[in-house]
Amino acid sequence: MERIDIRTQRAKLENINALPTAPGTFKRISQVIGKPGITLSEISEFVSKDPALTTKVLKMINSAIYGFPGRISSVSHAIMLLGLNVVKGLLLGISVFEIMQQLMGGLWDHSVGCAAVARAIAEKKGIKDPEEVSVAGLLHDIGKVIMVMEYAPLYEEAINQAASRRVPIFDAEREVFQETHAVVGMWLAEKWRFPPNLVDVIQYHHRPGLTKKAPLETAIVHFSDLLVRARGFGFSGDSLVPAVHPPSFELLALSEDDILEVLDKLEACRDEEGGLTL
Amino acid sequence: MKRIVVVSQDPLLTTLADRLLSPHFRTLVLGGMVSAVDSIYNDIPDLVIAEIAPGDGGMGESINTLKEDPMFNQLPILAVIGDRPPAAFWEGLLVEDYLLKADLERDLLARVRLALSRAERVVEINPLTRLPGNISINRQLEDRLSRGEVFAFAYADLDFFKPFNDKYGFSRGDEVIKVTGRLILNFVKSMQPRGSFVGHIGGDDFVFIMDAGLIEGACGEIIRAFDQIIPTLYDQEDRDKGGVESVSRQGVAGFFPFIGISIGVTDTAGRGFSHFGELTGAASEMKHFAKKAKGSSYSMDRRTGQAT
Ligand SMILES: [Fe+2]
Ligand SMILES: [Fe+2]
Repeated sequence: MERIDIRTQRAKLENINALPTAPGTFKRISQVIGKPGITLSEISEFVSKDPALTTKVLKMINSAIYGFPGRISSVSHAIMLLGLNVVKGLLLGISVFEIMQQLMGGLWDHSVGCAAVARAIAEKKGIKDPEEVSVAGLLHDIGKVIMVMEYAPLYEEAINQAASRRVPIFDAEREVFQETHAVVGMWLAEKWRFPPNLVDVIQYHHRPGLTKKAPLETAIVHFSDLLVRARGFGFSGDSLVPAVHPPSFELLALSEDDILEVLDKLEACRDEEGGLTL
Repeated sequence: MKRIVVVSQDPLLTTLADRLLSPHFRTLVLGGMVSAVDSIYNDIPDLVIAEIAPGDGGMGESINTLKEDPMFNQLPILAVIGDRPPAAFWEGLLVEDYLLKADLERDLLARVRLALSRAERVVEINPLTRLPGNISINRQLEDRLSRGEVFAFAYADLDFFKPFNDKYGFSRGDEVIKVTGRLILNFVKSMQPRGSFVGHIGGDDFVFIMDAGLIEGACGEIIRAFDQIIPTLYDQEDRDKGGVESVSRQGVAGFFPFIGISIGVTDTAGRGFSHFGELTGAASEMKHFAKKAKGSSYSMDRRTGQAT
């Protein structure tokens, strides 16, 4: 079995500027941009349902050009600060993923589902800006996108390993790459100067006990990840539902009714999802 | 080393430009304006050389869209064209200079050097927000008044900015100023792309000019967005508390709520302003009304008649 030590590739991976998007989103870009009189909130709505577009917008507003490094973690805020023309230019520059479309499509659904669930939990918990938590849910697995983009055959190998040995994907990743998608995602999130809370959620969503900066957000995304998997919504590399981290679950203190309500939000998202990704 | 982006689909042009420029500059050749814009957003170059082919309206449009944003307004663009076009061709096209294809070999390097040195000379823009400053603001007002134009003029500044600055330091204060400038600019330009103007007097003072019928809507949007974003610039603990413990402009210690924005608006329709000083005076008077209100607000001058 082929293996690499992805830690030696960090500098190379940090040069990646953008993620490719799903074909379904890609097709809708020109339609959205060309719509006469489109408002900033309509564009925000569209961007916040796609990990690649969201990444692009957040990376731009947190870049040195605008001078808000690590400050802006909400898509609608980013778009109000960038303005319509800049956002249109950014969206036009996006590319589409051409390899492993089925896997990427599954990952997209997983991410969008996580965003919806994370937002619903954040609202339940009365968090001031639920959108920030929703963004964290959307972007928690960007490390996987990077790994698939750069090492498609190896990542496939990791998926096969996870399936045949019935281990979680991050264990298989560690076997094949020596490091997991959580860390790869953190490298890019830091390089792109994402806000520290968002970086923490990405890095620790599978080990929520380790976060120092964002315990509540990380717990929310950790638990959302689990719920979305349990519901079989999308695909994130394996078919196991990992055990919940008990302190996170306690921190969230969700009742059974809360969880049922949150799951309803996910179902609503499944209904409107039809054809967004592929 | 300065960076130059060359945008053209003509392989002869790009090879030639690359040969002439790459010994002196970091040169990046791109085939179309879409990928060029993407690359420019990623990392602003020092100069863009773009071929504008006859009948290629898209290229001109992309250039203008780029240059309308103050962040990229100072980025010089050198157009390369096949034949000398009619004078009307340049109207409304936001490029700094042009060069004929036939003269490339002979002139390109010299033109590039001139364009770069011109760009280095100071222009009257605010270094933080990259918005035009007082000279341009006064000129805007004088020109419009002397043409007898009917327009609305708004004067905005921040409340409780000093306690924020004192508590978190200047660079965090600068972020607030940048947020303010961007929001005013984006809402003014999205609601009135043509004929509007946004300027930065300095510190936390901004002005903008719009059609009288549109300005009230813009004020509302600016305030709504401002009040949404500002709390996120506080540390979590202060964000939860709704403000900071600090010291006011008058040196009084206490608790200060989130920074707010106050906007005063006046318009030239009902009143005969003969000098821009009267206009700014009236707007700033309105702003003081707005400041009396709790939180962010705007206040419109509904008086008519001759200003005194
Ligand atoms: Fe994950
Ligand atoms: Fe996940």
